[in-house]
Amino acid sequence: MKSLPEITDKVKKNLIWKSIFRRDYRNTVRDKAQAVFGNVFLHLHPVQVRESAVKLRFTWGMGGITFFAFILLVITGVVLMFYYHPSIDQAYTDIKDLEFQVPFGVILRNLHRWGAHFMVIVVMIHMFRVFMTGSYKAPRQFNWGIGVFLLVLTFLLSFTGYLTPWDQLGFWAITVGTNMGAATPLLGYQGPFSEYLHITPYNDIRFALLGGAQVGGNALLRSYIWHCVAIPLISIILMFVHFWRVRKDGGISKPQK
Amino acid sequence: MANENKNNSSYRVYLFVFFSALLLALSLWVVWDDEFGLRPWKKYQEEFKTLKHDQLEKDYRKAVVEFQRSGGHARLADLEAQLAKAESAFQSKATQEKFKQLTSQFDTLHEQLVLNQKELQNARGLFLESEYYFTKTQKQEYKARMDELQRQIDAIVLRGAALQKKEDSLKSSLSELTAGKERIAAEIERMQGGLEDLKEKIANNKKVPVEIKQIHIKDIDKADRCQTCHIGIDGKRPVSALQPFARHPASFIYLDHHDPAKFGCTFCHRGQGRATTSVEKAHGTVKHWDEPLLAGDMTQTSCLNCHGDLKGLRGAEEIVNSTELLKKYGCYSCHKIPGYETVGDVGPVLTEVGSKVNYSWAVKWLLDPKLYFSTARMPKFFFTQDQAESIADYLFSMSGTTRHDVDYSKQTPDAKLVEQGKALWSQARCNLCHTTGGRGGNHVKVYAPDLSKVGSKVNKEWLFRWIKNPNAYFPGTKMPRFRFTDEDIKSLVEYITSEYKDEEAELKYVQPVEIQVASIKKGKDLVQKYGCYGCHKLQGMEEMVQIAPSLKRQGVSFLRGDEMREKIGTELSSIGSKPLEMLDFGKLKKSIPNDRLSYIKQKLRDPRGYRLGLRMPDFRLSESEINELSAVLYGFTDSNVPARFMVPSRQELDRMAGVQTYKFTGDFAKVIADVKCTNCHSIRGIGADYAPDLSYAGSKLQEGWIRSFLANPDVIRPLLQQMPKLGLTSGKPLAKITMPRFNLGQQKVEDTNRTDVDAVINFFQQELVSNDIPKKIPGITTLTMPEQITKGKSIYDEKGCKACHQIGTEGGALGPNLSNVGNRLNPGFIFKHLENARKFKPDIVEPDYGFTERERIYLTNFLMTLKLNKK
Repeated sequence: MKSLPEITDKVKKNLIWKSIFRRDYRNTVRDKAQAVFGNVFLHLHPVQVRESAVKLRFTWGMGGITFFAFILLVITGVVLMFYYHPSIDQAYTDIKDLEFQVPFGVILRNLHRWGAHFMVIVVMIHMFRVFMTGSYKAPRQFNWGIGVFLLVLTFLLSFTGYLTPWDQLGFWAITVGTNMGAATPLLGYQGPFSEYLHITPYNDIRFALLGGAQVGGNALLRSYIWHCVAIPLISIILMFVHFWRVRKDGGISKPQK
Repeated sequence: MANENKNNSSYRVYLFVFFSALLLALSLWVVWDDEFGLRPWKKYQEEFKTLKHDQLEKDYRKAVVEFQRSGGHARLADLEAQLAKAESAFQSKATQEKFKQLTSQFDTLHEQLVLNQKELQNARGLFLESEYYFTKTQKQEYKARMDELQRQIDAIVLRGAALQKKEDSLKSSLSELTAGKERIAAEIERMQGGLEDLKEKIANNKKVPVEIKQIHIKDIDKADRCQTCHIGIDGKRPVSALQPFARHPASFIYLDHHDPAKFGCTFCHRGQGRATTSVEKAHGTVKHWDEPLLAGDMTQTSCLNCHGDLKGLRGAEEIVNSTELLKKYGCYSCHKIPGYETVGDVGPVLTEVGSKVNYSWAVKWLLDPKLYFSTARMPKFFFTQDQAESIADYLFSMSGTTRHDVDYSKQTPDAKLVEQGKALWSQARCNLCHTTGGRGGNHVKVYAPDLSKVGSKVNKEWLFRWIKNPNAYFPGTKMPRFRFTDEDIKSLVEYITSEYKDEEAELKYVQPVEIQVASIKKGKDLVQKYGCYGCHKLQGMEEMVQIAPSLKRQGVSFLRGDEMREKIGTELSSIGSKPLEMLDFGKLKKSIPNDRLSYIKQKLRDPRGYRLGLRMPDFRLSESEINELSAVLYGFTDSNVPARFMVPSRQELDRMAGVQTYKFTGDFAKVIADVKCTNCHSIRGIGADYAPDLSYAGSKLQEGWIRSFLANPDVIRPLLQQMPKLGLTSGKPLAKITMPRFNLGQQKVEDTNRTDVDAVINFFQQELVSNDIPKKIPGITTLTMPEQITKGKSIYDEKGCKACHQIGTEGGALGPNLSNVGNRLNPGFIFKHLENARKFKPDIVEPDYGFTERERIYLTNFLMTLKLNKK
């Protein structure tokens, strides 16, 4: 019969263990830094953060919470995709089935729906905080720009996801939203100069968004692909840039002494 | 500083612990809710299984008791003893040795047989191979090989047959040894079988999984999960009378003809078929679900989805009654309703109304028809006195130039004429259709006007012309042309105008006044605006057919201006599935539930309540009429019905098959256009069901009888009584009703030499016959053999026919009186009718006695002797 330390020792000397956990962890500054360096998920993060920078009452933690909401939405979204067909015959009934029949379907869909609303709110508060603390100023002006793009992408994610249940709410939201596109100068057929540029309902921005002249099966498919693949990909890339710039621009902004 | 840090961190730990606990609790709640809270049907299914278990357990106990009572145990013990004996005999040394020997022989033989079979397969394979090469190369060597192989195969087959024969004989000698005990064992199993079955059923019931039960109809992608809770709905045997476990009511009508696996539930019942999380959601009685559950009689509204003909459809009685209201009030006159395009006008022709009625009456009627008679069908248009006068001016201007009333109050009626008229009135049975003083009007569906005050409404000259030939004034009227002489009509007019009048109205008669041209113009505009021409024919407005939006329309669309001119009301064909947001509740102040059915009901209750400028008149419907009518309208949907569900109407079927719809021909057509036989009788699917169906009258009735009946329907005792409805349907109780006397036979049919009776009889005998009904009993020439008649009489008494039929003064009144049946019916018809009464009248109440051919001959012979001598 071996004692516990002996077993622990044996496990830790095992090749599998060692290939995952490269070194022993001691609570020293060096080891802490090593842990961050050696971890793919943390390496974007600065090795050290000033204590004053993580003060909740300065940053409100809104950026981190936004990222958390994004992760939550990605996970629930992927699971939802298993139960959803982006076709006008099935979309609505698939949503109904999530409510009535799919195991944990209710919590799954509600997490995604409310999580999306939550993310939109939180991302706006984040922007507000950055503005109020003046964190957009040099050298962070580029990152502010990235942030603005991310804000727009968040709105677009929310907007494209709105149509996916194929209900009255989504249908009319997309109808109104794309009609706004149709009235945009130089882009839509209702905008100024459209007749000189030969913009018609069949070649304008609205047509591109809907895949047709009115909201239908193509619009649903486009909205679905933008929502599930294209915009999340762009967002992830910009998020990496955003986080990287945070680190390169001197870490999370902090109160000035 | 250090101290502060420590305090700070301990507070954080508490926070962490608190939120962790909250998260854990929430997670557990999520799991619990998903498993039980959102799946209430699990409880129902468990409960159902318990109920079913109890039922089976009870059956089992009963079967055990029955088994014991019938001495099953003693017999079983006896059999078991026999089995033991047989078993020991089998186990004896000699038998066992023989058995073993035979078995080993059998095994060797079987092995050989298997080998033989393999050899055969092999040879056949080689043969096929050679054949392939031969066809490919045409070389003789392959041909030779093929022949060789064929010989081998034949030899193997022969050998196999011999082996098989040996094996069979061995098998039979083996089974001889075991036959005795196997027979006893089988007997034991058979005895215990019933009980074992029940035990198995109980065990199986326990194994039934608790799961969502779903019917998926692929072509319309409907998934109904109703049976998840209503688990016994299509069961053979009910386990409970209470929902959700009860069986479908009248399932022999509904489910037997609409297999739930093919139709699902929501197709007829609406509701939210996919929902399983709560009763309200599943029944669709929640916000944002436009299709709440239809239950009870209301469900019949769904019959309209598929059935073209509802008439006579079992299980659709309520909705059939309700559709009658569409005809009664002529909704189709202003609204487009599919299937009603060819129904005639509800109201009379108005072109010459000025020569028909009194001016003061017309104004009063326009203001509010119900003030004149509570049973009036014409709705109230909320005209002002001024508007009503303008319309009356317009109508009167078409046949004259003055507003005028004709006052007979100063004249004294001719007493002798009145007396004659009164006799004619009852002979012609005017009260069968018309109500006077609250009496009569039994034949409701012709909607004949109430005549109580008619003497103060119309003038005598018009009344004379009307009775003489109603078609001349109002083509398509339901009023028959009685064959009265001018003298007769004069007396009738005198009687009607003196007996039925309204003294109060006569006091307000107006003196002739010239009609103003401006008023005529105003009246005409009003007539056009409110679409009077929808129900009434009006000179110059024949082309303007309908004015209301149609009641059937696909999806969302808006009426164009030119469509508006065509129809005054909304198209109603898809009102029952119109999206809720398309219904305009507008300025309605009263709070009503926000659903489609409530909208329709409120619209019928208060037609102009939703918006300003609406034109729909108020029909002053009773609450029950509103319910019925809204049920019909609710059934007008554009739901996605697969073609395989559709049951086209007979007319449509005929049209698709290229068959001409049945039409009356020759002189008879002229008679029927006049006498309107089909107001009451049905002939080959045309007409009403108020009086007996005449489709096969030629085969059924004797000529002499028809003649005497038409000449004098009430001389013979009331043979043709209206079937009592036994209180099964609503409506006025039916008294003894005989046909009116139309005085047929006194006039020639137009352009011919034949009297109308001859035309009727000719048509009956030429057209209304069935090849299935012989004139005489087949193969029987003489009808009056005394002993056959006696036998027939004894069968009549034995079977208790007199419980329903009357002969002389004896017997019941449910069936037709048979006192004169020998004169009335053809023997061939009686013979066939006794064989299968339902063949010619599917809903007859006469029981099926299953008479033999002999018995039918006796009965027919007996019935044919029943004759009343003509006085």
